[in-house]
Amino acid sequence: MAENRAVVVAVINKKNMFPMTNDKFTNRIWLTVSLLTVGLGFGQTENNEYKKRVLETAEIDYVMSYYTQDGSHASVTGGIGTEKLEDITPTFIIALPLNSDDVLTIDAGISAYSSASSSNLDPFDASGASGGGHDDDDDRAVYAGVSGTPWAASSGASAQDVWSGVTINFSHSSDDRDFSWNAQASFANEYDYTSIGFGGGLSQQFNEKNTSISLTGLVFLDNWNPKYPTEIDSYFEAGSNLNNGFFGPIDILNQSGNIINKNGPNAWQPHVDQLITDTARRTFTGALSFSQILSKNLQLLLSVDLVRQQGWLANPMQRVYFSDKPNFYVGNPSSIPNYTSPKNRDVFQLGDDIERLPSARTKLPFGARLNYYITSSLAVRTYFRYYQDDWGLVSQTASIELPVKFGFGKYTLYPNYRYYTQTAADYFAPYEGHLSTSNFYTSDYDLSAFSSHQIGLGFNYTDVFAKMKFLGFGLKSVDLRYNYYDRSDGLTANITSMGIKFVMD
Amino acid sequence: MKSILFLSLLFVFTSCKVVKPYDMVNINDPDMLLANKKCERFETNFQIYREGASGANGGKSGGGCGCN
Repeated sequence: MAENRAVVVAVINKKNMFPMTNDKFTNRIWLTVSLLTVGLGFGQTENNEYKKRVLETAEIDYVMSYYTQDGSHASVTGGIGTEKLEDITPTFIIALPLNSDDVLTIDAGISAYSSASSSNLDPFDASGASGGGHDDDDDRAVYAGVSGTPWAASSGASAQDVWSGVTINFSHSSDDRDFSWNAQASFANEYDYTSIGFGGGLSQQFNEKNTSISLTGLVFLDNWNPKYPTEIDSYFEAGSNLNNGFFGPIDILNQSGNIINKNGPNAWQPHVDQLITDTARRTFTGALSFSQILSKNLQLLLSVDLVRQQGWLANPMQRVYFSDKPNFYVGNPSSIPNYTSPKNRDVFQLGDDIERLPSARTKLPFGARLNYYITSSLAVRTYFRYYQDDWGLVSQTASIELPVKFGFGKYTLYPNYRYYTQTAADYFAPYEGHLSTSNFYTSDYDLSAFSSHQIGLGFNYTDVFAKMKFLGFGLKSVDLRYNYYDRSDGLTANITSMGIKFVMD
Repeated sequence: MKSILFLSLLFVFTSCKVVKPYDMVNINDPDMLLANKKCERFETNFQIYREGASGANGGKSGGGCGCN
C-alpha cells in the first residue's frame, strides 16, 4: 500500500517535475507507468500475504474394520465361558478447510457388535439349552426346564448392540505454521453408556521446524445406564424374595444338584444389598509430546499421558464368584460336575456379585516412537510404551513396522509385529478365586497377567494426483490391513481394516 | 519423569544438527509420520478393550465407552 500511495503522489507531482510538457504522449506514458506500478503493487501485496493452506481441499476418509475374537474367559460369566464376538465399525471422517488457516473435522461412526459373552447377561433360555453355538440336541432332551450355559450365546437382548459416536474438531494454525491450537467436542452412546467429551490442544514448532512440543487436555463426562446380570437384577426387583418374579417358577440347585428350599437360611442371595451407587465415570487426560528430527533420515517422538478416572470404573455386567460362598445353579443337575467345561450346555451358576473396583484410577503411560528412512523403498517404524497405574498393573509394548514401497512409490506393503505384556491388577482373580471378604474383585481377564503377540500385513495405494474420480471426488489413497492377535490366556482375534481417502476436485 | 525431561532437553540442546527444510524430503515421507494411520485406530481400540494398558500412542486412554 505504501508503494501505491507513492505512485499517486508521483502522478500528482508530475506537472511539477515536468512543468513545460503537456502533450498527450507524455500523459499516456505516465498513465501506463502509473497503472503498471499500481498493478505490481497490488500483485506484490498479494504475494506477501500468500500462505499455503493448511488443507488444500475438502477430504473424506471412509474407514472401517471387521473384528472377530474367541476365547474361554468371558468376564460377564465370571472368568469362564465363551468370548466369541464380532464387531463392524463403518466410520466417516470429513475434513473441511474453512480458510487457509482453519480446518473443521467431523468424525462420525458406529460400532455394531454381537457378543456371546454380553448375551449371557441373561443366559436363561426357556428352551432347555442356550441357543446358538454347538448345542447338542441330546442334551436338550435330558432337561426341558429353564437353563443356560456360559459356553454359548443366549437369545438375551444384550447379544447385540450399537455404539455410535461423533467428534467435531476445529483447528487453527498461525501464519508461519509454527503454532497451532485445536478444540474438540464429542458425544457417544450405547445402550448402557453415554459419553460427553471435550478438550483441546496446543502445538509449537521451533528450531526451524526440527522440534515440536504438543500439549493436549481431554475430559470425558460419562454415565452408566447400568444393566446387571439377570439373576441379581431380578432378585432385587422381586424384593429379595425367591418365590416372586423371575425365580418364582424356577428351581434353584445346590452343588450336589438338589433343589434348595428357597425360604431356607442358606438359600442363594447376592453378596451385597446394593448395586451401583454412582453411575458417573469421569476421565481427565493430559498428554505431553515432544518430537525431534535427529537427522535427514531419523526422527523421534516422546510422549507421556497422565490419566485420572473417577466414578464407577467397574462394569456392572460382569459377574464374580466367590470361593468361600456355596454355589447355586439353574438348569440340568447332571451337568453341574462339568460346569467349567465347554461340554456344559445346559446349566448356569448364579452370580455371587458384580465386579467391584476402586472409584479412582491413575494411569501413567510413557511412549516413544523412532522412525528411520533407510532407502526410498524401505523405512523402519518402531514404538515402545511403558505403562503403570495405581491398580498394580504394569505393562510394556513394543512394535515394529517395515514399510516397503514399490511401483514408483505408488504402492506400499506394511509387515508389522507387536509384542505386549502386562502384570495382573491387584483386584484380579480367576473364576471362584475371590474371597467375599475383599472390598474389590474382578475376574476380567483383560486385567490378568498375560502377554500377547500381534502380527499383520498392510497395503497402501496412493495416487497423489487423485486421477480416479467418483461423484466429483478424486481417489487419493486406499489402505488395507489384516492383523492376527494371540493372547497367552487363549484369546485370539482377527482384525481387518480398510481406509479410503477421497479429495474434492 | 525426570529422565524423560532430561532426554528431551538433551535432544534439544546437544545432539542435533538442524535439518534444513530442503533436506526434509525423507523426513516428510508419509511413512515417517510419528503417528498411526487413520485405519489403525481400530487396532488401537481393540487393544484398549483387550488389554489393561492404554495411552501414550495418540489414541484413546480412557473414557468414551464402557469398556475402559
